[in-house]
Amino acid sequence: MKKFLQNKKLLSAFIIVIVILIVLGGSVSLRKKRNAPLLIQSLGNDIVALGTRIIDVPVGWISGGLNSAHDILNTQDENNHLKREVTDLGQTKARNSTLEKENRQLKAALNLKDTLSGYTLVNASVISRAPDTWSDILTINKGSSAGIKKNMAVMCGGGVIGRIVEANAASSKVELITTTDESANRFSVQADATNGKSVHGIITVTNNNSLAFTQVVDGSKLKAGTRVYTSGMGGNSPKGLLIGTVTTTTRNSFGLSDQIKIKPAGDISDPSIVTVIERQVAN
Amino acid sequence: MSILRKWVLAIGLLIALILDGVASLYLHQFLDYGSFNAASVILPISVMLIGLFDDTNENEIWLAIGTGIIADIYFYGIIGIYTVFLAFACWICQRIARFLPEVFWARLIVILLGTTLFVGYGWFIFKAVGISTASIHALLMCMLTNLGWSIVFFILLYWIWGNLAQDYPFLIDLNAYRV
Repeated sequence: MKKFLQNKKLLSAFIIVIVILIVLGGSVSLRKKRNAPLLIQSLGNDIVALGTRIIDVPVGWISGGLNSAHDILNTQDENNHLKREVTDLGQTKARNSTLEKENRQLKAALNLKDTLSGYTLVNASVISRAPDTWSDILTINKGSSAGIKKNMAVMCGGGVIGRIVEANAASSKVELITTTDESANRFSVQADATNGKSVHGIITVTNNNSLAFTQVVDGSKLKAGTRVYTSGMGGNSPKGLLIGTVTTTTRNSFGLSDQIKIKPAGDISDPSIVTVIERQVAN
Repeated sequence: MSILRKWVLAIGLLIALILDGVASLYLHQFLDYGSFNAASVILPISVMLIGLFDDTNENEIWLAIGTGIIADIYFYGIIGIYTVFLAFACWICQRIARFLPEVFWARLIVILLGTTLFVGYGWFIFKAVGISTASIHALLMCMLTNLGWSIVFFILLYWIWGNLAQDYPFLIDLNAYRV
């Protein structure tokens, strides 16, 4: 022990390792526990986010130009597809309008204000992405000043892609739904089975980074193509946000519950504009 | 202006940090190889190049620590990934530069080893704190994919950081030594 204490290099290395472990552990703990980041952290993040937004403009122009050229090449196929969709759109809109009116009247009759499916939207642009391979974190250009709070669901391309993990004043971090973070909040979801009943479970990530609908009791009644959407039971997301569609159903490795693979509906690989969902019902 | 000259390297690293996030966003589709992704390593390469080009300036280790803290807070909200790696990489590169031939290829080998170590270190920390459950196979594939992109980033950054590190060492005004 005396030799160890007299060896300054060894002692310094030991102290540095201890300090690193304390800082790392402390910051991980703070990240998980706090609903809002520290003021200095929020300020620093917003200053870097401002710089990112400035650099993002010319890079976005170049990227947008290349995407436009790609879009022009696909215009004919897209046009044919859209023509087919438009024929159904008029009827769907008319039906939605009638249902919306009926829903309002029924809510008024029952004296209901906020329900599990009530939410408002905040649109934002993705300005940055964590450079590593292991954490799926995006930075968006809206923060708590726009009403964004920790744990709100984030959508892109018609489906849920993740949730807010940190809300600074003018920027926020989004953790993608494909994250393998063990402490991440999972979406509670449901799907309509072939027998007409609702099947409940949660969304997890399998070893090969694909989404799975787990903790399901009777998943064998879910056919491929069934839509899976949030149930609103978790307390953070409203009901009815589309997660994806069922692809295959298998038993888990213990044979105790069904594991249902899901094809995500949201654009997880290349999100540029996202919508943050603010749940209206009291948490 | 002399104050600005002393801080050119710090401003350059801040831009490198921002570019790392922006490149990761826009190049994400190209950084993938099947289900394995390469990391964007502009910032680690920049700090290692500074260490290799200017091996006498002790201030650059403090610059690496400062840049690391900002990068960690901005990208993850966890301090210890960039902060530790950038400081260690800068220190070790300054030591290596004292006996390494001052040629492109020798520095490329050091950078490739460094970025591979960075990917491995990131994997270890994320696994330790429970943010990732990626397997060793995924790590090895990522390291391989990363080598290719590291060469591309190294070629793009080599002359930029070479000139900046030699002409504008951190917190030193070279004009004070010129007659």
